[in-house]
Amino acid sequence: MSLRLNLALLILPAALLLVMPGYADDNGPVIPPATYGDQCVADTDIMRKEHMSLLNHQRDETVIEGIRGEPFSLVSCVNCHAQNDNGGQPIRIDAKGQFCESCHTYAAVKIDCFTCHAALPEENAVIGSLQNNLPVASTYSNKQLLVMQSHKVAHKASHDYQRK
Amino acid sequence: MTTSVNNNSGGDQPQGSGNAQLARRRFLQKLGLMGAVAASYTLLEVQAKTAASSDKRWGLFIDTSKCSSGCDACVRGCNEEHGIDAGKDEHTRAQWIRKIDLTDNLTGAESSVPVMCQHCDSAPCVDVCPTGASFKRADGVVLVNKHTCIGCRYCMMACPYKARSFIHENLTDQKPSAPRGKGTVESCTLCVHRIDSDQNQQPACAVSCTDEAHSAIVFGDLNDPDSDISKKLKTVGGSQIRADLSLNTGVRYHGL
Ligand code: HEC
Ligand code: HEC
Ligand code: HEC
Repeated sequence: MSLRLNLALLILPAALLLVMPGYADDNGPVIPPATYGDQCVADTDIMRKEHMSLLNHQRDETVIEGIRGEPFSLVSCVNCHAQNDNGGQPIRIDAKGQFCESCHTYAAVKIDCFTCHAALPEENAVIGSLQNNLPVASTYSNKQLLVMQSHKVAHKASHDYQRK
Repeated sequence: MTTSVNNNSGGDQPQGSGNAQLARRRFLQKLGLMGAVAASYTLLEVQAKTAASSDKRWGLFIDTSKCSSGCDACVRGCNEEHGIDAGKDEHTRAQWIRKIDLTDNLTGAESSVPVMCQHCDSAPCVDVCPTGASFKRADGVVLVNKHTCIGCRYCMMACPYKARSFIHENLTDQKPSAPRGKGTVESCTLCVHRIDSDQNQQPACAVSCTDEAHSAIVFGDLNDPDSDISKKLKTVGGSQIRADLSLNTGVRYHGL
């Protein structure tokens, strides 16, 4: 009885490895490191999971209410996350293997943001805007994140309303 | 002669939470003025976010006597600011400002004026938009939310000023401060990206006009009686193009 169980426990993972050949060496997407900053605009965990809703929220706040200089600005993501090539020239953040693209291709996500939004960083604002007015995780409290979550619900409601 | 510029009915502001929040913000700001230091924690959060407010109504005053026929500095300034390529096919290229030369049939008097989005209080483009993408901000700026614009172009047909353009082709090398792209409608934004972040900033057209030593374009708050624009309107007067439509435009012309 127990021998059979042990055998099964041995065989099952081995069989899984056989039917999923790529699985054993899939370590996830290769995401280029940020070019500027020691930390992201919120905890990295939160950014990985929530960046789309944070961006959508920021989008509505800026476009509809005219609120500027906020941490989840799309311009700021590009400023910090766009890499430079060997000659020191910035590379489009949506180019193959670059920050947004690497992860999205892995997760089969396609975004259209950079058909309108600049995929290259602002020319000289990078360092300046980082030092002056980019609040980072430490100044962005959990309380505020909670407020944003509730906004998310409100925004969704107002969008649904508009569609009617 | 003209309807009041001061009333900003705000009929098309974002619904629900937005207004409630605005009210809350204003209330908190008042608390602050009364010296309620206890509320400072919340106030900090509030001050960090300055939203467009219906206390203001942004507008332009255009002095046609200072605007000269050969000059297109405002158009160039606008194109430069928003990365608009003026060299494209003239039938399909984007035009946020058009310079129009006028001749009075009766007197032969000639004038030249820049015409851009007139930032109407009762904007026809907002009325006809099926998705709510064409909207008026709390401070009177009429915009296209390109995230919800479906490119149907009803707004372009509704606009009496021909102020909007449709983007027919893929664009490249947009400016970080001016996202633009195929399949959406766009028009003068009164340079919201400039004026929102710094109260002393002027729209690019006004700056270029001043740089050219014409100073024909004055930007400011129509709701503030002490602003340059309100004083100009009060002393020399300004009319609306197609005042008969009663749209209560935010752009006023002197000497038309
Ligand atoms: C059709 C063009 C277009 C597309 C596509 C588009 N945007 Fe935008 N976006 C704009 C315009 C125009 C603004 C207003 C810019 C301003 O007022 O400064 C804007 C503003 C924003 C802002 C606020 C400004 C900033 O940089 O933070 C955010 C955030 C944003 N967009 C996010 C997105 C995201 C995320 C996507 C993709 C899912 C996207 N946008 C796709 C045109 C577009
Ligand atoms: C101040 C510079 C800065 C800005 C602005 C910034 N980031 Fe980051 N971001 C970083 C750094 C540094 C890291 C790596 C943090 C770490 O290693 O824990 C990071 C990590 C991330 C990660 C996780 C990446 C991974 O390897 O798993 C995501 C996702 C992310 N950022 C998205 C964004 C988005 C979206 C924006 C715009 C709203 C943004 N970031 C703005 C600096 C920045
Ligand atoms: C750590 C991996 C990772 C990185 C880095 C990353 N994303 Fe994402 N992103 C995802 C995943 C996964 C999804 C899909 C989530 C889902 O569908 O629930 C997604 C979805 C999105 C969406 C929503 C798409 C949709 O169709 O709803 C937007 C917008 C977006 N990402 C923007 C960005 C931008 C802009 C960047 C670069 C600044 C970026 N992301 C970098 C993993 C990443």
